[in-house]
Amino acid sequence: MNLNIIICGVGGQGNLLASVAIANYAMKKGFNVVGTETIGAAQRGGSVVSHLRISDGPIYASTVPDGTADILLGFEPVEALRHIKKLNPEGIYIINVEKVPTVLCNMGLDQYPDLEQIMAALQDVSSHGYAINAAEKARELGGAIMTNVVLLGALSSVSDFFDRDEFIEVLKKIISPKVLEKNLKAFEEGRALIAS
Amino acid sequence: MKQYIMGNEAMAKGALEAGVKVVTGYPGTPATEIVDYCLPGEQVYVEWSANEKVALEMAMGASLCNMRSMAVMKHNGTNFATDFIMHLNFTGVRGGMVLVSADDPGANSSQNEEDTRILIHTYGHLPLFDPATPAEAKDMIKEAFALSEKTGSCYVLRPVMRICHSRAIIEDGAKEDLVQTPDFQSDRSRFVMSAVSEPKAGGLMRPMWRHRLLNEKQAEFTRYAEESRFNSVEEGEGRTGLVGCGIGYTCIKEAEALLNRKFPVLKLGTLPLPRKKVISFLRDLDVAIVFEEVEPVVERMLKQICYEEGLAVKILGREDYLPAEGELTPETVIEALRKQGLVEGGKTAVSAPQISAPVRTRTQCVGCPHRGLLSALKQVARKKKAVVTGDIGCYDAGSFPPIELQSTIFCMGSSIPMASGIAKTGIDRPVMAIIGDSTFFHNGLLGLVNAVNNRSNITVILCDNSTTAMTGFQPHPGSGTNIYNEQTTAISPEKIGEALGIKTRVVNPYLMEETKAAVTEALEEEGVSLVISRAPCFLLSSRRGEKEIFPRRPVKMDPEKCNGCKVCLNDLGCPALHYVAGEKKVYVDFNNCVSCGLCADICRRGALSV
Ligand SMILES: Cc1ncc(C[n+]2csc(CCOP(=O)(O)OP(=O)(O)O)c2C)c(N)n1
Ligand code: SF4
Ligand code: SF4
Ligand code: SF4
Repeated sequence: MNLNIIICGVGGQGNLLASVAIANYAMKKGFNVVGTETIGAAQRGGSVVSHLRISDGPIYASTVPDGTADILLGFEPVEALRHIKKLNPEGIYIINVEKVPTVLCNMGLDQYPDLEQIMAALQDVSSHGYAINAAEKARELGGAIMTNVVLLGALSSVSDFFDRDEFIEVLKKIISPKVLEKNLKAFEEGRALIAS
Repeated sequence: MKQYIMGNEAMAKGALEAGVKVVTGYPGTPATEIVDYCLPGEQVYVEWSANEKVALEMAMGASLCNMRSMAVMKHNGTNFATDFIMHLNFTGVRGGMVLVSADDPGANSSQNEEDTRILIHTYGHLPLFDPATPAEAKDMIKEAFALSEKTGSCYVLRPVMRICHSRAIIEDGAKEDLVQTPDFQSDRSRFVMSAVSEPKAGGLMRPMWRHRLLNEKQAEFTRYAEESRFNSVEEGEGRTGLVGCGIGYTCIKEAEALLNRKFPVLKLGTLPLPRKKVISFLRDLDVAIVFEEVEPVVERMLKQICYEEGLAVKILGREDYLPAEGELTPETVIEALRKQGLVEGGKTAVSAPQISAPVRTRTQCVGCPHRGLLSALKQVARKKKAVVTGDIGCYDAGSFPPIELQSTIFCMGSSIPMASGIAKTGIDRPVMAIIGDSTFFHNGLLGLVNAVNNRSNITVILCDNSTTAMTGFQPHPGSGTNIYNEQTTAISPEKIGEALGIKTRVVNPYLMEETKAAVTEALEEEGVSLVISRAPCFLLSSRRGEKEIFPRRPVKMDPEKCNGCKVCLNDLGCPALHYVAGEKKVYVDFNNCVSCGLCADICRRGALSV
């Protein structure tokens, strides 16, 4: 069993927690896990990408080779586009559709592509994908900060590798008890977004 | 216990298990967290030093007392500490001492790309470990402490970014049971590095004698390399061998797995090289391809060995076969094998999407104190035609669009002397240097002292946010606190200004008019002027839930009044503002706006107002 995952977004979206949660889940199931992040200046809206590799055999490189990501979890549409070459043609992508415009797009000096174009580009690589508004759902539930957990919920329902109850056990260990309840709700809502 | 942790944490664990007593460092990606994770180790003293040279000198002091010590830095810091390295290599150490010098191939978070193996080993003749994985980095640190004591030399660990920032399942090891009691013994013929004649060496000049001892040590380092479990040979098919140094080995293994092939592989983790092992590997080959980050260091050594041993093996690598810059990937290995005709078929074309992703340039956070300052400086600099030099830190994004204020960024502290040099040409424009507070205490202060002593005519802008924000909020000598959160004397830049006898002003960067006026006056003055822009880092103070650092001034947007002049974007560039091309108007993203009110101060048409 080999599972390669790419999680991409911009600084401050909490994609690190998402990758740590998935890694801990895989460890709990007895798999080997290796990962890496390219952080840049994370606080100030730069691109952030985490690679995760899960296997029952040995894993060498911590980066996911091009064309081998079984799951691409895009916290932001343009960031998903940026890492499209990682996606396996048989792979699945889940995109949070809320845009985080770049500085130059904000200024009208660069064009932020249409969401349809981005989704079409992803479709060209793989036909298995979902576009969900995880950020909006998170705000409804009490804060954009939970976008990552909504996306984890979504992720947990697109692959047989993930078992809902066991994943929740992992979340209980890494999320502070003060905000756990809200986050577990966010997780369920993420699952529901995929189901609908 | 087994945990999924970062390479930097694994290295800290290695050092703690080795019983390190003193850990010093100056923050810098990708090395920073190694120091953080040494806290709150039992019976370990940890500090953020003012700069990397200080950190290394601190570690040496501890080693002289027979205690295990470690200094941690990124490659630029190793450059900065090189003068000291070129002495400690001659003297050797007492207590085990390890220098961690982290390189950033690909320069994801650095001003330059380089390979400190050259400084440390080729130039400084120190022995070095180059890890292939986080787990190996942890083992190597432990081994480095042991060998440091055995050989009486400082050992160096050179992790690259993909080691520091990789995560893997790491197992805790046993803590070494060492009794270390500080004890200082003077040994002047070793530790007084001076041009004196040395009786122990028949009157030879001491530096030359110590140089000779260092040269003689190399045989001992090589012997340990020869026995090291970090160097090994793997058999495989064919007469083309792959040599993997550090992360290069990992890329080779991944490529083999992807291709389902097995080549002869030489895994290398040490410098000096295990010469005998290398020769026996090369002997049966026609071609050897060397994968290393980032300069052709081992490649050239192998070429030399082939020459000396009369081996007719073609050595290929980053000198003229592989890409000469940047990170290695498994794809680099596959591509190299394809060029050799050892992998069939063309490159599998990953179809590029029709549309490209817009680049993300870095900027300051919404609400950052540097934004008001940079905007004020841009307005004044434009009016006065000032030449502006820059330094490194969150404020350096003022050199990118839309602000494009600073015209230079080199290395920590360069802004002030470069500004002086520009001014001394007699150029008919005012000259301004912009520097952060951590950078100022790192190596900026001397540039200021020099400017005063040599009567430069410059204005120095000190961005005082009381932390080292760019690397994750470490305290520095001006913060009034240290890594233990203890209260310390916050060294006051205005008192430094007073001591230097220069006109010093303190401004609040959220008050742009006041800031502009102060900077204008400073630029008009003769001699050195200092303007301190003081407000805490907004991100840090909000995370800590501290008292508000500016009064909230909610803005209102009246699209009717907006004529699309974009002054708010070009001169302020808050990421919560955006231009809607269809309407030729600017709007506020109220999900992100933090009501600093600065955009209302910039907009002259009342489209943005408070
Ligand atoms: C010699 C060297 N050491 C470390 C670094 C990493 N580094 C980049 S900027 C910076 C300090 C930034 O702090 P400060 O000047 O206070 O500016 P701020 O980010 O807080 O605005 C550091 C440590 C470096 N680039 N060069
Ligand atoms: S981290 Fe602090 S200093 Fe850096 S950009 Fe954000 S608010 Fe400004
Ligand atoms: S908001 Fe004001 S400054 Fe910005 S574009 Fe409109 S009129 Fe110009
Ligand atoms: S008030 Fe204006 S400048 Fe300040 S955060 Fe809001 S949009 Fe940005």
